[in-house]
This record gives sequence, C-alpha cells and structure tokens, in this order.
Amino acid sequence: MQGLLILSVLLGAVLGKEDFVGHQVLRISAADEAQVQMVKELEDLEHLQLDFWRGPAQPGSPIDVRVPFPSIQAVKVFLEAHGLRYTIMIEDVQSLLDDEQEQMLASRSWARSTNTFNYATYHTLEEIYDFMDLLAAEHPQLVSKLQIGSSYEGRPIYVLKFSTGGNNRPAIWIDTGIHSREWVTQASGVWFAKKITQDYGQDPAFTAILDNMDIFLEIVTNPDGFAFTHSKNRMWRKTRSLTSGSTCIGVDPNRNWDAGFGKAGASSNPCSETYHGKFANSEVEVKSIVDFVKDHRNIKAFISIHSYSQLLLYPFGYKRESPADKDELDQVAKSAVEALTSLYGTKFKYGSIITTIYQASGGTIDWTYNQGIKYSFTFELRDTGRYGFLLPASQIIPTAQETWLALLTIMEHTLNHPY
Amino acid sequence: MLIPPINCSLLLPRAVKIAAVSCLLYTVGCHSRTFCFRLINQKKEYKVDLVFTTELYNPEEGKEHLGKCSARVFFRNEKPRPAINITCTRLIEKKTRQEEDYQLYKYMKQLKNLLDVVSIPDSHGHIDPSLRPIWDLAFLGSSYVMWEKTTQFLHYYMAQLSSVKQWKTNEDAIDFDYTVLLHEFSTQEMIPCHIHLVWYPGKPLKVKYHCQELQTPEEASGTEEASAVAPTELSNF
Repeated sequence: MQGLLILSVLLGAVLGKEDFVGHQVLRISAADEAQVQMVKELEDLEHLQLDFWRGPAQPGSPIDVRVPFPSIQAVKVFLEAHGLRYTIMIEDVQSLLDDEQEQMLASRSWARSTNTFNYATYHTLEEIYDFMDLLAAEHPQLVSKLQIGSSYEGRPIYVLKFSTGGNNRPAIWIDTGIHSREWVTQASGVWFAKKITQDYGQDPAFTAILDNMDIFLEIVTNPDGFAFTHSKNRMWRKTRSLTSGSTCIGVDPNRNWDAGFGKAGASSNPCSETYHGKFANSEVEVKSIVDFVKDHRNIKAFISIHSYSQLLLYPFGYKRESPADKDELDQVAKSAVEALTSLYGTKFKYGSIITTIYQASGGTIDWTYNQGIKYSFTFELRDTGRYGFLLPASQIIPTAQETWLALLTIMEHTLNHPY
Repeated sequence: MLIPPINCSLLLPRAVKIAAVSCLLYTVGCHSRTFCFRLINQKKEYKVDLVFTTELYNPEEGKEHLGKCSARVFFRNEKPRPAINITCTRLIEKKTRQEEDYQLYKYMKQLKNLLDVVSIPDSHGHIDPSLRPIWDLAFLGSSYVMWEKTTQFLHYYMAQLSSVKQWKTNEDAIDFDYTVLLHEFSTQEMIPCHIHLVWYPGKPLKVKYHCQELQTPEEASGTEEASAVAPTELSNF
C-alpha cells in the first residue's frame, strides 16, 4: 500500500507539482449493487477530482479513493446521505508522503565509508558495488577489485582480491549469491569483506593466513538474478539468460558446471528451477569463474555459499561414490561446524551433498574438486525453513559472524596442510 | 503474548520431511531439538519413527515449555499425504490452550483493512507485529496443504503469505482466503497456492485449497490416492 501511495502520488507531484496537504484517502464499503452504482456516480463528478486507487467493482470489495481537500466535505456529505459506510484510511496524504520520503532517504543513504555502511540490512546491487569501491579505496594495499567477466545482461562481474603480496600465492576462493534469492549470502559476503580488512593485522591467526595466502571473494555471483530479485521477483533463483525454443528464462548456475553435467539431479526443462542449461558452462556467470580458476592454477580451497538449511557439504552431489579425501573433508567439516555452533548455538549438519541434501549434478564444488581443489565446500546458511529465503535482516550479522568462524577453520586447515 | 494453534512438524529434521502431523498441536513451536529415526521396510512402504521435542511458537522470556512427541510416519507407494500416528506429552494443558485460542480469535476479529496485505514477510524478512497472527494462521492452513502434498521425495516450506483475498469476521468464524508461496525443496520450485480456511476456536478447522501443480514428467493422470487412507479429521479446532 505504501508503495502504491508513493508511486501514484509522487508521479503526480513530479508531473504536476501538486501537493497533497489535507487530502484524505477513504475506504468505502458498498453493501449492495445499488450502493456500488452510487459510488460510480460519484466517480463521474469530475469537478471533485477524485482519484480512485481501488475503483467500485462489486459489493463487498473495498473502494479506495483519494479525495482532495476542497472536495472532502462534499464527498462525506454524499456518502452519509446515501448510507454508504466509509473509514478514513489516510488522514493527511502529504504528511504520510513526507514521512515516507524521510524514511527512504534514511535507509538508502549512500554510505560515505565502509564504517558507516549498514551491514544489518539488505542492499541493492548498486549499493554493494559501491561498497566494493569504497573498501578498495580505503585499503589499497590489501584490497583490489577485479572484473572476471560480464553477466548475460551485461553487468560487470566483480571479485575482490585480498592480498598482502607475493606472486600468485595459494588462494582461497569464496563466492556468495550464486542463487540470487539467497539474500543472506550476498549480505554475509559484504560483511566478510569488511571483516577481512578489520582482522588483518589484528587477529594473529587470520593475519598468518593472509600473510601466506590470497583470498578471492565474489559477493554477487549472479548479478542479473540479484537485480531481478529487487525489481520483479524476490524468489528468482537462476540466471536471466534466454533459452532458444522456450519462453522460460534462466539456467540454474549450480547445475551448469562440468561435473556429471546433465545427469540425474538436474532438470532438462528450461522452465524448471534446476534447469542445467544447454551445455556445461553455457552461463557466462559460471564460465567466468571456470576461466579464472583455470588461469590461476593455485586455488587451494573453494567455498560456495548458499542458503537455506544450515548445512556444510562436501563433494559429491552427482554420484554416490565418496571423494578420495572423504575422511579429511569430513573432519574439517566437523571442526568448522563446531566453530560455527560455538558462537550462537546454531545447529548445522554436515556431510556429502548427495547423502545430506539431495542428488545434484553439474554443481560447483564437484567441478572444483575434480580440478584438484581438495578443500571444496558448500554452505547452506540460516535458517531451516521458518523464514527460508526471507531471513529477517536482523539475522544477517549473526549469520555472517558464525559462518566466518567456520570459514576461518577451513582456511587455517588449508594453510596448515599445503598440497 | 498471543500463541496461535499450530499444525506442527513443518520444521522437522531434514532427514524426514513430513508436512503435518495429524493431531494438530496447540501452542507449539516446531523446532525439533532432538530426534532419532529408523527406517523400516524400505520398499513399497516407507516408515519412519520420530522422536522430537516441541517448543512454544512465540515463547516468552522464562516461559520456555518443551513438549515431547513420538510419531510414526507412513508413506505407501510413494504417494503423498502420509499416515501419521503421533502422541505427545507435556504439552500445555487443554484449558490454557483453549483460552489462548480464544484470545487470538478475539484479536483477529477486530483486525481490519487486511485486503491490502501483501508479501508477509516482506523482501527483507520483516513481519509487522500486528500482522504476525495473520501469518501464523496462514501457516496453519498451509501446513495442512503441505501435509497433503508431502511424499518421501517432496517436502515443503511456506515461503511467504503473498496476498489476502478475503478476511471475513462478521459471522462467528474467521473466514480467511489467501495465497501463499510454498517452497518445494528437492525441485526448488516455488508453488503458488490459493487457500481458504474457516476457523473458530473449538471447532474443526476447514481448509480448501488449490495449488499450481509441479510439472513432473511422471505425473500420472486420474485420481491421486494418498498414503493415508482415511481422511483425517482436524479435530481440536
């Protein structure tokens, strides 16, 4: 309702320089057909300048109308004389507009620095990209922003590189937001980025990690999908690529990797949420990472972050056969989960993808593991279904904090077990 | 603090995804704390035994109350709507539950202007506290729907109350017509469902619904039988 108000009224304000002081919005209930007709007659009286937000339709359906100040008396007299019941939904449209403007400005204020950035709320793509630039500018020795490709719709795909020097050091890769509706993951990615800059030089264990390894962090792995979750459909999961021969849009980027591609555990139906695409790496969002990993050649841990379910998973998803390093991966997962749980008691389960969640083919970490990146893990962050993808913003920071402890465990293990 | 009646088991452990328990539990929040299960006869029949604890849906400080339940869930031939036998102990006593239901009912009766309600929670996961009971009631109706649709392979969560089509309280009962999005986990699909429920405390809950069906290649035409043979009476409401 608020959105409708802003849209219709602001448009009016912008175009006609109107103000809405004293305007009221009334909700009229028409009890029968005759009453509906009466309201329609009211609608015809042009001089009243009534603006119907919800027009007269059938008895029982509410009729919402914005009444300019000069017409209020006349309209109320009319309604009362004809026995039409009504309530005042909005006492003064202008003051509501003013409040709303204030609110919007307050929450959308562009942060001047990463210290004033609000980590406890969800952000738009532009805000996150802006954050990246701020962070890189504030820590030029530590942080650089790389563009690894462009999305289907032409948006830049950025990765933050955290490095204290060296030449192509062994590296940790972390990505968030590959499935765009999993908003707590991109939000956590933003928090991780800031955390890295805060803890380097302060926390000895983490400093040791970054003194010897690089970290690559891709916060918005699926920018087209993410933009779409803001503009049109909060529940969008896939990319936004067009599929020839189908009216349905998008490929599941976590079924598009070249590991058991097209096998059981993905769909060949373009309209499905788990559509694998026409061929492996068909999605530029996936191909960009594949090329990066292959060119780099020295990535030692690869962590892809999703929500929800509270799980820590290792390969495989496409086949039942255990990875050769199963025992070690299981141990690392166990320790990582213990670290995570230690903070707020959040319970996580862990295991291979196929035994813990479901069979899934063409998945990210199956491919990275097969490339030789031994420490390949996938997280499913909070919660377990109560809010699901619509996790309250108040849980962003606790989620990021606890997850960070698990990430540290994995990174430390990677540092201490070079291969 | 209003504690709504709730159809439990939605948040049961992932190993056994069961939509709803047939004896709808009052005033229970469904976070399973402990569970164990074993598979019996994993062929055409699929049985799971569960033990779990329950807590208040909206617990108040210092008033934690854990109930304990054991259930046997039974799928036949991979059909939906599992048969469930459940017993619970240490639930809040019936009289208290009924009182609290009635409080909730009174609160809901005076709610107005619900037809412009959309998207609860909103994109940011926020639910206006005054609208929380509406979401709870929507969840109650949804859990019945989810139970009817659950199979060994398909399990659901209520992702969002997407709109309120009708909210009538002029008769005695609460007449609530709404749409939700159900998230099916193994296919990751979002399924819109239109649900109509009628609730009066102490009377059986009535639920009618229509969901957009998943397109599966194996979808059989004709009447769909369920695993649970006899229609379950939603008593205690």
